[in-house]
Amino acid sequence: MTDVSQAIRDTARSLLADGVVDIVIGFEAGTLPLRSSPCFVRDAADTDRLVWNMSCENNLARYLPWIEGKVGIVAKGCDARSIVGHLKEGRLERERVHVIGVPCQGILDRRSIEHRLGGKEILEAQERETELLVRGEGFEVALSKEEHLHASCRACRSRNPVIYDTLVGDPVAEGEGADEYVDVREFEAKPPADRWAYFLAESSRCIRCYACRNACPLCYCRICFTDVTQPQWLGRTANPADTLLFHIVRALHVAGRCVDCGACDRACPLGVDVRKLTRKMEKDVEELFHYKAGMSPDEPLPLATYSLDDPGDFIQ
Amino acid sequence: MSTDNPYLPLLARIDRISVETEHPSIKTFDLTFLRKEDEERFHYLPGQFAELSVFGKGEAPFGIASSPSQPGVLQFTVSKAGLLTSALHVMERGQILGVRGPLGSPFPQDEIQGRDLVIISGGFGFTTPRSLINHILHRDNRQRFGELTVVYGARTPGMLLYKSELSQWRQRDDLRLHLTVDTAEDGWEGRVGFVPDVVREVSPSPQNAYALVCGPPAMIRFTLPVLEELAFPPERILLSLEMKMKCGIGMCGRCNIGNKYVCRDGPTFSLAELNQLPPEH
Amino acid sequence: MTALRVPKEQTARLLAALLEQHQVVAPVEEDSQVTFGRLGSPEEAVLDYRNAQVSPKGLLFPQAETLLTYSLAGESPEVQEAPQAQDGQVVFGIRPCDARSFVLLDRVFDGNGWHDRCYLSRRRNTTVVALACPKPGVACFCASVGGGPFSTEGSDVLLTDLGQEYLIEVVTDKGAALAEAWSEYGEADEGSLRRRAELQAGAEAALAGRVEIEGIDRWLKGMWDDVFWERLHEKCLGCGVCTYLCPTCHCFDIVDEGSDREGQRLRLWDSCMFPLFTRQASGHNPRPTGKERWRQRLMHKFCYSVDSYGEVGCVGCGRCVVNCPVNLDLRHVLNEICSDRTQQGT
Repeated sequence: MTDVSQAIRDTARSLLADGVVDIVIGFEAGTLPLRSSPCFVRDAADTDRLVWNMSCENNLARYLPWIEGKVGIVAKGCDARSIVGHLKEGRLERERVHVIGVPCQGILDRRSIEHRLGGKEILEAQERETELLVRGEGFEVALSKEEHLHASCRACRSRNPVIYDTLVGDPVAEGEGADEYVDVREFEAKPPADRWAYFLAESSRCIRCYACRNACPLCYCRICFTDVTQPQWLGRTANPADTLLFHIVRALHVAGRCVDCGACDRACPLGVDVRKLTRKMEKDVEELFHYKAGMSPDEPLPLATYSLDDPGDFIQ
Repeated sequence: MSTDNPYLPLLARIDRISVETEHPSIKTFDLTFLRKEDEERFHYLPGQFAELSVFGKGEAPFGIASSPSQPGVLQFTVSKAGLLTSALHVMERGQILGVRGPLGSPFPQDEIQGRDLVIISGGFGFTTPRSLINHILHRDNRQRFGELTVVYGARTPGMLLYKSELSQWRQRDDLRLHLTVDTAEDGWEGRVGFVPDVVREVSPSPQNAYALVCGPPAMIRFTLPVLEELAFPPERILLSLEMKMKCGIGMCGRCNIGNKYVCRDGPTFSLAELNQLPPEH
Repeated sequence: MTALRVPKEQTARLLAALLEQHQVVAPVEEDSQVTFGRLGSPEEAVLDYRNAQVSPKGLLFPQAETLLTYSLAGESPEVQEAPQAQDGQVVFGIRPCDARSFVLLDRVFDGNGWHDRCYLSRRRNTTVVALACPKPGVACFCASVGGGPFSTEGSDVLLTDLGQEYLIEVVTDKGAALAEAWSEYGEADEGSLRRRAELQAGAEAALAGRVEIEGIDRWLKGMWDDVFWERLHEKCLGCGVCTYLCPTCHCFDIVDEGSDREGQRLRLWDSCMFPLFTRQASGHNPRPTGKERWRQRLMHKFCYSVDSYGEVGCVGCGRCVVNCPVNLDLRHVLNEICSDRTQQGT
């Protein structure tokens, strides 16, 4: 079994030493249990910092539109699709990105683990093959990694990067299961009053910190619609109506582009269900346009592609 | 402040609107307080600012362009730039605004009395210096100050503010007015040149003199070395800074340079004071 | 020191007594997270918690506060000052770091010649019953920034959980008035006081040396152009998690919201980490990138605060550390500035 961390380090080292890239964006060890942190390596001698584990929860592609020069980037399955998205949207030139693709077993859901431990603080966590050993004051428990995968990973059908220049690690079995969108269908089946109550409850918790938006690779607008004052599209308080509008519009803005990496959800400090609306968009786009975002650089974007003879009879 | 709630504005009526320049759009608003007691309590000095409210749009800070020696009217010169100023620019005589102030530190009267003054200003930065000039020129005040030299420039003649006042000042013998433009237009018979160059030409003496510099960042950046050449010490160079402001009272954390708030400790700072602060403006 | 005691099984009675007279805000569970909420009944209180996700600053400085209302229906706008908060509240069970944060906020809203009436009326009407921390969290560092797990700064009463009972220490007169209702179980005995001292010693030992901030304001003053700032901000997302969750961050915006007939002027939380925070209408922005904004954040809390108030503007609650989506760890940043420089003798 490949030591993926070492393979990433070796790849990064040679890329930097040979001048193929000026910088490698990857992950380094975090400062708390179950955390890792994005890191930016410019020196071949500095590549030992790089790690790979199931706490690599950020989508590093969110940094790409803002970095100049030749970039190496560690990309798990979903991140690689985000990079395809950037290429299709003209944010990047293919030649200047070297994708270090990493087949991904999924990312751990810290909130689910904390919940399982009844809020007890984790002092140490160690990944084993199928288990996560977690130690805290007065307890030591082995948890099933599978049971505590992040929801986006459980639904994931693209664990192996669709685009890469170097592949590190062995390919993994793709996610299976009859229905990728079972979570959306279950929610859709609820009566409208229940759904509305859910949305209000979720948006009441949101404090408009914009961690979800800023963690997303697709949200690269220099001025977000939330900050435009002429006109003022929505109120700036954490009033649930305005907050819900923020999430609705954001879901619409990422519709047809979102790969459900789940970075938004993991970034939220308050556990707001930020994926609820984006998952619905994803399902609708697949059903209406037979399209999944970021699978291939050659596929046209369904909501941004038009031809002059598109049917227009719905316009009255 | 006439109320003890620092966020509550006083109401004032627009009595007159004069167009200073068309492109960019700059207008001067003459305001009168609705309540006489507000007018009586609103004591300000040149250099201070107020937060003007257009209810429904918000508030923004503007230097007070009138001088305290012109009682009964409060003037603000507003350049159309963003949400609030655009709303202001479509308002009409008789409409009501909110005024919160006076705020900020004025040009230090105690320090500049008895001194010669060199006022160097450019473009839209001329609002509060104009307040100071009118204050000094008032017959009650003139003898308390020494020689008054004004270097004022704009990009084009059309962009000069307070044109009729400038003509009147040209006739006076108790100030030396040097106007200049970056680019001349038909009919302009005056100087053509950048403000810092004109300052060098005029070569004011630093003896017992204060320099007040108020204008766009580029103008300030090129004027300061000229003042240094002329041997003005940093303690006697005053600058009026602009920052984005909201509360105007040093609480919202937005306008700080180092540990000073431009709204509360400024907007007037001496260069000596600024040199102690991080270079962040 | 006199301290009262209350057996833990009487906690519900203690809270019920409070609820009869006051509005009580306490840690409560909401969707499997602990937050500070209005207590409806004593059973809702969660007192064996580490800390709430969001700080209690919203109790004094709400995320959205109406400053005034206006009506544009008539010929002239009618402007009404929003009523000041009159109702008293007891904030029960917050941690000493959060109680101390109120003292730091006081300096901002009431310290520089201007008095923020909205904040002050809430502050005056709030009684703070803090709960000491015998078991500090992994990311806590209150003792490194001038606070402590048993600090009474900012609280009117300090409770300590001794296992079978709570120790109740009265800190202020306001607290004395409140604690009178709990005096029926008498004073704590020697054993309880000793236990409390042991718990404090243990907590302080656990917190010792976690973050180095000796001389930080001096180091920062000399670092304005240091290359350190170039790298520090790179992973930062520029979101508002750290500032919004922080008990002492106080930046705000003032906006008008409403229809064309009426509306309100609001004071809203804002963040120096947001790109448009300092952007002027002309488009000029003195802090155009994350580099300048991170420098401002650090300088504000650890240098300018020392200049203005004699101490750093951080209470070491650890929320920014635990909740940063990219694990940009303030503790490490502070240690890097202080310890490395101390070692290098720069």
